[in-house]
Amino acid sequence: MIAARLRPIMAGAAFFLAGAAAIIGTPTRSVRGSVDVRTLASEVARESDHVTALELADWIRAAKPGLQVLDVRSAGEFDRYHIPTARSMPLETLVTTTFDPNATLVLYSEGGGHAAQAWVLLRALGYQHVFSLRGGLEEWLEDVMHPAAPTDLTRYFGGFARKPGDAPLTVDALRRHGC
Amino acid sequence: MVTPLLIGIAFGAALERAGLGSARKLTGQFYLTDLTVFKVMFTAIVTAMLGLFWLARLGLVDLSGIYVPETALAAQIAGGVVFGAGFAIAGLCPGTSCVAAASGRGDGVATAAGMFAGMLAAGLAFPLLAPLYSAGARGAWTVPDLLHVRSGVVIFGVVLMALAGFVLAERLERRA
Amino acid sequence: MKYSDPYLAGVALGLVLLAAFVFAGRGLGASGAFASAASSAVHAVAPAYADGNAYFAGYLHEPGGAWRSWLVLEIAGVFIGGFVSAVLAGRWRRTIERGHGVSPGSRLAAAAGGGTLMGAGAMLARGCTSGQALTGGALLSVGAWAFIVSAFAAGYAVAPLRRRAWRES
Repeated sequence: MIAARLRPIMAGAAFFLAGAAAIIGTPTRSVRGSVDVRTLASEVARESDHVTALELADWIRAAKPGLQVLDVRSAGEFDRYHIPTARSMPLETLVTTTFDPNATLVLYSEGGGHAAQAWVLLRALGYQHVFSLRGGLEEWLEDVMHPAAPTDLTRYFGGFARKPGDAPLTVDALRRHGC
Repeated sequence: MVTPLLIGIAFGAALERAGLGSARKLTGQFYLTDLTVFKVMFTAIVTAMLGLFWLARLGLVDLSGIYVPETALAAQIAGGVVFGAGFAIAGLCPGTSCVAAASGRGDGVATAAGMFAGMLAAGLAFPLLAPLYSAGARGAWTVPDLLHVRSGVVIFGVVLMALAGFVLAERLERRA
Repeated sequence: MKYSDPYLAGVALGLVLLAAFVFAGRGLGASGAFASAASSAVHAVAPAYADGNAYFAGYLHEPGGAWRSWLVLEIAGVFIGGFVSAVLAGRWRRTIERGHGVSPGSRLAAAAGGGTLMGAGAMLARGCTSGQALTGGALLSVGAWAFIVSAFAAGYAVAPLRRRAWRES
């Protein structure tokens, strides 16, 4: 019977395909992270997961070693305006990029939501020194670029004082403000 | 609408061609005289398992789009025991009872009728069975997750077990 | 009575299962069609009760109604495929398969009784040999493999008690 002669071939094929599967491991090229949720929860509760805009501004001005400011908004939004020294890192690019494990990574987004999510993702991938800018770019504009009481940081970054009655600073205004 | 029909036709034809529409042939499994059930079932499992792994690996199939039935261990073990007993007594399972009935076998019809009655009774008794039914129901849970081992390794293990089983089955049948 | 080689038939069956995964995003099933049928029957007799029973209700509210559900169409296909294959192979026969010395009545009673047990078992297990053993097995579901082991263990335990039913002579 033909089938009888096919049996060893089928068995061999199954063994080979299964062995190759065992070596490859998983069918999907997934990027897996793992999270100790208790650790992360306490970091968030203690607020050691975020930095304020003023702290970030200080770090940038002091050229803190190993600092990387990551903008998780889209490339278009990044081009319109970004925090000085920041790199464009939309979320999907962020999770497949390898960073120096000793670097200090500061994530920011428009209002802080996506940056907070990115914080969890990078922590899940094992990075230890990760922070998110809690109030996002809005906090940066309000506290660094357009505060009521300008500090030397404001002047350093080219911001200006907010006078009573001024509208909150927008990114467009900043672009037009340059010369 | 056509897809399930076509798949069903192929399913029924494959079962019939294997002889699984015959209760006499099926029960041979339990008396170790005819291990066709084991051979067909596990060859099918291995084929689909390997096929899925490699199609996914080649990017031709999205595994997340495939529905994995949920696991509820207590209910599935209890249900398995009851089902297995019924299988040994009837000599046909739900799918093969349809094939048997379609081949003119009256016992296939009777088994199918019994299935209907059994499901009806179990559904009516659902309020009583609900605690067992839902005990430990935890959604899809796969062996790779259980053993913390990559799926490719689990697949290799299953294939080895199946191949060993086939060798054993051939020996048992020769002795029968 | 030339049956196909079991391993080749298994590969064919496996490819059918694979086709179901690829083209329908789900595996095969059989007991679910029976559950659908039972649900519809109850609904026909007592619609308010059927809707109130969590188990039956689950099978009732599919788009197009229970009778048009995927599994019911698939099982209809199983009938057709089994029929055509039997006829083409000359295996179609109006008969009641049974062992020597077993009356048709007693065989039918055993078949119905066994079927009832399988119906109840499949309800609890969320499937049968097609839906759990084949489909869940190929997907490496823990519950499915537990079902396979339990079902075969029980089958082997009960079978000796029924040896008389399949005597050759």
